[in-house]
Amino acid sequence: MKSFKLLKVTILAVLLGMVCFAFTAAPERITVKGSDTMVILAQRWAEVYMKSNPSASVQVTGGGSGVGISALINGATDIANASRKMKATEKEKLKARFNTLGVEVACAKDGITVYLNPANKVKELTIKQLGEIFRGTISNWKQVGGDDQAIKLYGRENSSGTYVFFQENVVKGDYASSCQTLPGTAAVVNAVKKDAYGIGYGGAAFAEGIVICKVKKDDKSPAFIPTAETIKSNEYPITRYLYMYLVNRPTGEIKKYIDWILSPEGQKLVVEVGYFPVK
Amino acid sequence: MDLKKWLSSPEEGHFCNIVYSFCNRYVTTLTDFCIKQDSKIYEAMKKSISILFLLFFLITINSNAQDPKVAEKLLTIDEKVNGINERLANDEADLSKLTKIKISGYTQAQYQYFESPALLSTSQNYFSLRRVMVKLTYEAADGIKFVLQPDFTPGDFAIKDAYVVLNDHWTKSFSFTLGKFNRPDYEVEYSSSQRELPERSAIISAIYPGEHAIGAKLEYNPVNFPIHAQLAVFNGVDGLTVNNSAGTNLNAADNIDYDNYKDIMARVTYNLSLGNFGGLDFGAHGYFGTIKSNAVKTLSTDYTTVTDIKFGDPLKRNWLDGEFQLFADVLGGLSIKGEYIAGKNATVGYAPVAAVGTTAAVPGVANFQNNFAGYYLYFIKNLGKKYQFAIRYDYYDPNTDIKGQDVAVKGFTSNDATTLKSKMSGKSDLATATIGLAFHHYFDKNIRITLGYDIVNSEKVGTAGKVIEPYTDAHGVAGTMDWSNAINQNVFTLRIQAKF
Repeated sequence: MKSFKLLKVTILAVLLGMVCFAFTAAPERITVKGSDTMVILAQRWAEVYMKSNPSASVQVTGGGSGVGISALINGATDIANASRKMKATEKEKLKARFNTLGVEVACAKDGITVYLNPANKVKELTIKQLGEIFRGTISNWKQVGGDDQAIKLYGRENSSGTYVFFQENVVKGDYASSCQTLPGTAAVVNAVKKDAYGIGYGGAAFAEGIVICKVKKDDKSPAFIPTAETIKSNEYPITRYLYMYLVNRPTGEIKKYIDWILSPEGQKLVVEVGYFPVK
Repeated sequence: MDLKKWLSSPEEGHFCNIVYSFCNRYVTTLTDFCIKQDSKIYEAMKKSISILFLLFFLITINSNAQDPKVAEKLLTIDEKVNGINERLANDEADLSKLTKIKISGYTQAQYQYFESPALLSTSQNYFSLRRVMVKLTYEAADGIKFVLQPDFTPGDFAIKDAYVVLNDHWTKSFSFTLGKFNRPDYEVEYSSSQRELPERSAIISAIYPGEHAIGAKLEYNPVNFPIHAQLAVFNGVDGLTVNNSAGTNLNAADNIDYDNYKDIMARVTYNLSLGNFGGLDFGAHGYFGTIKSNAVKTLSTDYTTVTDIKFGDPLKRNWLDGEFQLFADVLGGLSIKGEYIAGKNATVGYAPVAAVGTTAAVPGVANFQNNFAGYYLYFIKNLGKKYQFAIRYDYYDPNTDIKGQDVAVKGFTSNDATTLKSKMSGKSDLATATIGLAFHHYFDKNIRITLGYDIVNSEKVGTAGKVIEPYTDAHGVAGTMDWSNAINQNVFTLRIQAKF
């Protein structure tokens, strides 16, 4: 039994050592991973922040909201960017791993933009029509006042927060099987740019070289494009918040960084990149 | 040759445009395909394709002297590109089917040391594989899921989960599960790969043996309201032993019900947000079951009363449960979880067997219905991102009507020993309290290293020498355990879990 007592003491010592390790100072590098919609904004934040705080290091990568949240649950990132809210199943995983419900920080607003090719006669659509188009119920542009041409659908992968938000708020059902999934909003914009009869969706910040489709709540409502005013006034019907998720309430360098993002300086960059401030 | 001049000449420039359009078409086809699959593959393919086309371009320049053959070559290449296009379309269709299959799982390898030599006759310490689970999920279509989860533990292969889930398309709130799956209880449904102590608490292991059961389940889990309701119907005999007079288990067939009776489980939980502090999940479940009597007498939990029962009549197995889980963000994550369960369980006996010829009569054994109670309480604290500490107090009293001092004192004495055996209270009526300690190191996102130590205290029998259990240790040395004394049942576990 003597040897086992020694074993117990050794185990206790190892445990104490591990506890001490757990509280050693964390490295100053902040890792941010997630939403592709937010990647330009997050990179811009990081660049400007690191310029004014030379000792800070912020590493930003994309991959999609789902990928970012998975990384947060696995402890592989400090901040997960998400263009949708965290799902109940993801919260359960976070509870199991970290015993918290996570911290949600709304850091910008976005109007999900519907992209059309400049050659397309159609310039505005209702939410209902958009839903029918992406479900595949409407499959020809002539059904919504355009040319007699098949509609080509471009969308995001199911790990994307934009995919989920657009599905829940516009498609309200399953995407048509003909919808071509692409790995990023830039790829969607690029595809619509090349395809006269293409239609896609994504963040407002990527809308270059295409036409932004005006969107109406219903037949009787006026059509709007996403602008600071229409999003603030909720006139543009496909508006959402962009979020940062953390495991715990932020402290130290991470708190400083988030406070800066929510400050007028950080929110100014939101507008510069093409999104809309939270306040 | 002056390449710059050659490229800018109208004739060759035109040729280059043709080559470029072919290259572009080929690159676009391949890259579009690769983008869809994986961005890393895309990067690698982009580099390879660039090099290939550089080579192709140089070869084309070299062969430009033979202009009449160019159109023919381009036609051939065009056909090849069309062929590649077709093949890629087929491959893409095949790959999209594969994305519907998800494979996950975990392996738990461990070393255990049992402090008492009396607990195991084979070895006091050993390495083992506790679980080797692989989970295959196939999403046939949106809202339809097949799950198969075998456990490949050496010498103990079993299908843990095998079920189909159908989700409702309209309200997105209901789902229906059919097959073999976890019984609806917090600690049962909480995966072993996530659980903070190496094993489930004693009460859960006792009333839900094997955790999984065959049946059907209806779930209500609305999107915008934090309530979760489950209603399940099971055969209700999974993991139970029903021995006949010859000692044969009548419930040995895993895939067939032992009787016509079905058991019902209902569970409701609610997630209450506590703002910045955290959240409180709480709920309750009830188990309403019956099992077929294989005896003609039933003995009460306090060993005082024997009642008649018909062969095949139902024996009640009913209990109620209350549960809570508190999550708080206090210097990192912290949680306190608990569950209390109490009710009546049943063990099936057997009817007496009359003497036939030279074969002697076998007296029957009465069914036994025991009132039980138990609970557990966890305290779990995360220490930074990599470490976690957990302590659990776990109590299970299999017979609340018999105290330690009554064990081997209270009992039932049969009036007719040829038709019904007497039964004395014993070790199986003793309560057990366990303090479990565990420390986890999350080595990376896949590996968890656990040090666990269980301090087990059983209720003592009142009178010395009343319950004596002989044993032979790993060295073949015989001994006895007197349950009127404290018996050391402590266990140390070192476990490494790899999850993917």
